[in-house]
Amino acid sequence: MLPAMEFLIKDEKVFSGGLSCRGCGWSLLVRHLSSILGENTVYVVPASCFSIIAGPYPLNEIKGTIVHTVFAAAPATATGIRHTLDRQGRKDTNVVILAGDGGTFDIGFQALSGAASRGENLIYLVNNNGAYMNTGIQTSTATPYGAVTTTNPNSNFKKKFPKDLMGIIAAHNIPYAATASLAFMEDYRKKIKRAKEIEGFRLLMVDGPCPPGHKVDPANSIRVSRLAVESKLYPLFEVEYQNYKINYHPTTQLPVTECMKYQGRFKHLFKEENKNLLEEIQIVTDKNWKRLVALEKLSEEGIYNYDLG
Amino acid sequence: MNNTETSTKKKYPRHTEKVMKGNFAAAEAAKLCKAGFIPAYPITPQTTIVEELADKVGRGEMDAAYVNMDSEHSVFAAAMGSALAGERVFTATSGQGLFYAHEVLHAIAHFRLPMVVCNVGRPSIPWNIWSDQSDSLSQRDTGWIQFYGESSQEVLDTVIQSYILSEKLEIPVFVVLDAFYQSHTSENVWIPDQDLVNEFLPPKKLKGTEINPDKPIAIGGLVQPEHYGKFNYDYWIDINRVENLTNQIGEEFYQKFGRKYQAVEAININKDTKIILVTISSITTTAKGVIQNHPEVGVLKIRLFHPFPKNSILEALKDVANDTLLVAIERNFMGDKVGAIMQELREAFYGERYFKMLDVFTGQGGKDVPPITIEKIIYKAKNNPEDVIWIDME
Repeated sequence: MLPAMEFLIKDEKVFSGGLSCRGCGWSLLVRHLSSILGENTVYVVPASCFSIIAGPYPLNEIKGTIVHTVFAAAPATATGIRHTLDRQGRKDTNVVILAGDGGTFDIGFQALSGAASRGENLIYLVNNNGAYMNTGIQTSTATPYGAVTTTNPNSNFKKKFPKDLMGIIAAHNIPYAATASLAFMEDYRKKIKRAKEIEGFRLLMVDGPCPPGHKVDPANSIRVSRLAVESKLYPLFEVEYQNYKINYHPTTQLPVTECMKYQGRFKHLFKEENKNLLEEIQIVTDKNWKRLVALEKLSEEGIYNYDLG
Repeated sequence: MNNTETSTKKKYPRHTEKVMKGNFAAAEAAKLCKAGFIPAYPITPQTTIVEELADKVGRGEMDAAYVNMDSEHSVFAAAMGSALAGERVFTATSGQGLFYAHEVLHAIAHFRLPMVVCNVGRPSIPWNIWSDQSDSLSQRDTGWIQFYGESSQEVLDTVIQSYILSEKLEIPVFVVLDAFYQSHTSENVWIPDQDLVNEFLPPKKLKGTEINPDKPIAIGGLVQPEHYGKFNYDYWIDINRVENLTNQIGEEFYQKFGRKYQAVEAININKDTKIILVTISSITTTAKGVIQNHPEVGVLKIRLFHPFPKNSILEALKDVANDTLLVAIERNFMGDKVGAIMQELREAFYGERYFKMLDVFTGQGGKDVPPITIEKIIYKAKNNPEDVIWIDME
């Protein structure tokens, strides 16, 4: 039997020389995204790591149009572009926001909610690496519980769980939202294709490996991403009009520590005095998974089987 | 049947005279200019502009994409996206909304995106919704061209001229109205016929630098120090062209529409003038009336505020004596020792002319500036001119 080949990029749309760190998810993520969306795509980029990776003026990392815009309002800029392309008869052009978690969970949150509520015909991709990494690892509301950042240093590590962006975005009753991981490439590619064929507001949240921010050996980027899914820290699921579908059920009962131990940002949690915190993270992770399973069950029963439009 | 159509000879051919509030004149202008994208967010006292535009689009009178945004920051970010893709854009805002959009104002200007936006002036906290120019004047350094309209007619006419100017220079333009005294006050307005506007303002010409999926480029990427200054230099070249172009477009507008506008307007300014009131917006009309009783007093209306029309002002004042007193009437407060107009006047005269100058703060937060207040200002100016005074503070 031949190994699965669906994750191979057949039509490369990204030039070499991208400015990402070693082991960063951005370039890999964009290579797959752009190879599926094609060149008839406008990428709208708020301040983020990708502002840099995409290349300084006048360079362009992608075969496609890139528009750099203000931090807080990428979905608004994309709205203006979308409506104008539509009026120019370019309804076939994809308009895609490429944002980080800071630009999504925090400063760009209002513009995101606005565009999702209006049902703008946009694809929103958030590379969630759990902090403001471009400015040098500062806490965002996506930063995981227990992580150390430069604004939550040492024993002042973050003591709040991250915002449930997927829950919030699902509550906007949009046609498609999904989580994805670069360790599950076929799943990710399937989701890009699904997002591409749907009209309306679509959001993909990709778990973003960040070796300098997570204090991970760049060689372990994909391994840690895989362990995040296997340990249920980062479940893979889709939501269509509030209907949840889990895309991957881990078969191993892998504890969260198996993923966290590779990440220096969690190193202090492994000290004896913080043992209870690791237990708490495990409990919350298990509860989140149970909730997801319950939401999937409700969806199968048809509870959310409606489209409010 | 419209009364004006029964008259044998109209004051302005190919126009219809209507009674209209300033905000409706602004909306009418956007329609006549065929703005194709209108991102909207409500804020008093601008709201009726975007409401009226929503009506016009809804009634099918106007072919535009109208989008209810989530904030003024998003309004301007959407305007930016649409203009990047080549659309003719219009929107309106006021006070806090303008302040909130401040970041994006810089981005729009320095992306060199043409558009015209009406601002209905009101001040900041503590809450106040009435007439005051502190909001737009404080945005002077964002790079936007700023016009201030004296009447609803002037607002409508200036929006039309501004699209020509903006698209020629690729610099965005604010057309500013006074809150309530203009925005919500009915005046007679001559509305030009659509085909007359079409002859004057052709559809927006694309430069080839817009978003075009067939010719992908990156727009707005990080600019290194060795290139950054070049962008500002090019901007500086074009901002220096604004004053002359304003006067030239004003002249062309006059030929076509019969109403003349320049960067400044001089009333009763000559070698015998002893005092000149320097005004912006609707206070000008009041001042024009009051000086009928004061033959030695003139009025200098600043229509183009940014970039400040230095040459036009020097030209308007070329015959006046050196001991003439200039009185800046400031319906603004910049948190500074003098108001915005005085700062600009001093800069304009530096090395050119020396005048005694009196700075008068008045009409703050919408306080009425009736003829009696103008009389008081003239009395003060004649008797004991100080550097800076606040009037009507009781």
